[in-house]
Amino acid sequence: MSAQEIVFENVSKFYGDVLGVNRVDLRIGPGLTAIVGPNGSGKSTLMNLMCGLIQPDRGEIRVLGISPRDPERLMRITGYATQFDAAPRWATGFDFVVSGLLLFGYSTALAERLAWAALERVGLTEAARRKVTSYSKGMRQRVRLAQAIAHDPQVLVLDEPLNGLDPVVRAETIALFRQLAAEGRHILLSSHVLHEVDSISDRVVLLANGSVIAEGNIRGVREEIRERPSQFLVRCADPARLAALLFERAPVAEVRVLEEEGALLALTRDRRAFSRVLTELAAGGVAIETVVPADENVHAVYEYLIGGSA
Amino acid sequence: MTARFRLRQAWIIARLEVRRLFLSRRGLWVYGLAMLPAALFLIHGIDVQYRLGQSRRGGIVQPAVVEALQTGMTEQQVIEMAGKPQEDRQWTRRKWEERVEGGRKISEQRVAPARRMIYFDGSRRVLLFFEDGLLRDINKYQILNFPEDREVFAAIFQYYYLRLAVFFGCLGVFLNLFRGEMMDKTLHFWLLAPARRGVLLAGKFLAGWMAATAIFAGGALLAFAAMLWPHMGAEGQAYWQGPGPMHAFRYALAAAAGCAGYGSLFLAASLWVRNPIIPAAVLLVWEAARSFLPSLLQKLTVLYYLESLCPVPAPLDPEMPALLRLLLAPAEPLDPWLASAGIVLFSAVVLRAAVAGVRRLQINYSTD
Repeated sequence: MSAQEIVFENVSKFYGDVLGVNRVDLRIGPGLTAIVGPNGSGKSTLMNLMCGLIQPDRGEIRVLGISPRDPERLMRITGYATQFDAAPRWATGFDFVVSGLLLFGYSTALAERLAWAALERVGLTEAARRKVTSYSKGMRQRVRLAQAIAHDPQVLVLDEPLNGLDPVVRAETIALFRQLAAEGRHILLSSHVLHEVDSISDRVVLLANGSVIAEGNIRGVREEIRERPSQFLVRCADPARLAALLFERAPVAEVRVLEEEGALLALTRDRRAFSRVLTELAAGGVAIETVVPADENVHAVYEYLIGGSA
Repeated sequence: MTARFRLRQAWIIARLEVRRLFLSRRGLWVYGLAMLPAALFLIHGIDVQYRLGQSRRGGIVQPAVVEALQTGMTEQQVIEMAGKPQEDRQWTRRKWEERVEGGRKISEQRVAPARRMIYFDGSRRVLLFFEDGLLRDINKYQILNFPEDREVFAAIFQYYYLRLAVFFGCLGVFLNLFRGEMMDKTLHFWLLAPARRGVLLAGKFLAGWMAATAIFAGGALLAFAAMLWPHMGAEGQAYWQGPGPMHAFRYALAAAAGCAGYGSLFLAASLWVRNPIIPAAVLLVWEAARSFLPSLLQKLTVLYYLESLCPVPAPLDPEMPALLRLLLAPAEPLDPWLASAGIVLFSAVVLRAAVAGVRRLQINYSTD
């Protein structure tokens, strides 16, 4: 097996009678690889298997030549930002990252220096001394990311890392992933939203029902459904004002204000331009909480690829 | 990685984990178990001090005078010898008396004057009961009874502290180490550390042992101090300058050894069995049935080693039911050094078996 690749060979995992992943064969090289699939498709299972949190019932996994059964070596070269949202009650963001680093054998001074650097990279220095339990979902996401990157790993595994991030932080985080991938690292991230990651990934692995249904550069596939407009749900403090701004600046076909929910639904044919305008508005002080896709475009891709069984 | 590095990792894990254990809301009841004897002895000490103060205020008679009192003396003779009593109560007693007259039994009621006087000789309360003006009964009891308090301490320590408090306390502390974190969904933090699973187990055990020992050895020492506190006169001083410190050390050592023995068992059980209540119940019965086991199997119980570390044998009430006496009967004593080495070896063997469990441990937050 290659010492430069992450290799899954005929890997299966069952939770009792429930299928986790089935006969997965994958070879993942350096760069940014996205694992995409709907909820329950096996994305987290694949990542947990890779980092040794669970063990396969069949098959073999190697991460740059190291078995997940050897956490002492594996976790030196790997950082994993899990989707598990719980954090130790006692820990501030800074403590959380430092305590992880101390286990690498770093001196306290070095661990603290690395922790500050990591927190700075994810833009969390101001809240670093607050308890993690008091963080918002997006901040908890970022502190987990800080812990994963703090020891400068060669392999970075990120389970739904863009969940809960506001548009500005999302753009910064994506830029960080690109930068890390450009340095020759293996960045593996999961998402259930294809268009969220296909534009930033070098490679996409599509999962459905625990099996890999497609892998490689599938932008071509994505282009085929580009004709269909995408719908986004944008939560914000003042939906009416944001609707007016979007009509003015973004390529939207339709905007529907949902006053009671503090949100609006926007229909666009140009997602990138739409995202760029939203990011600019957020940076300009418009309070935007979250942006989530509200249509079934991801499923359309699955339907295209697996014949409608996704 | 060197063995020294792994030891350091285990120590870091223990340091990080011990803070969580001390502050765990789930484990607050453990403090209650550990501090109960100290609280009882403190209440007893306050009560004794209060009664001593009250008795001293009522006047003290010489112990020699108390010893000279004899049944049959008149009230007047007693008062002349001992002076005015601290407490003096008089009442009349009605009692039926039978006599035979002309071959017939006749019962008749008689009224007899009764009196109770109480004196204090500096350490004992002396209760004198009079009937028909004559001293019928003399009862003396120590308000401060050091040998008795030491025996009570030994009994509480062995029958409650080691058998129940340390046992259930360790169940609470050591189950939290892995299963508690699984429930809190925080275990992945440790499993993603660049450490062998065996090192993680050692670090977590060390954290549990440090926390449990601080709580239970601390609780034992507090209870010992509370027991000693009312006796800090000549008797207590003599004890403290003699065997006292060694006794305190051995009680603390027995508690620490109990935490190691029970802790290793509960830690292993939490890795091997989904429902820890079942192995805990089995272990409780196994430990309780120790007296019925052949001597080789007795060595596979934690109590076997702990009893030998206790400095004072626990008293057994001769009127206790035979079965209970058998259950509480101490095993043949071991040399304390051998007992210490035995419990270390016992814990090491159990932990070695637990390593296999921690190696196959998987995150399964949805079902735990």
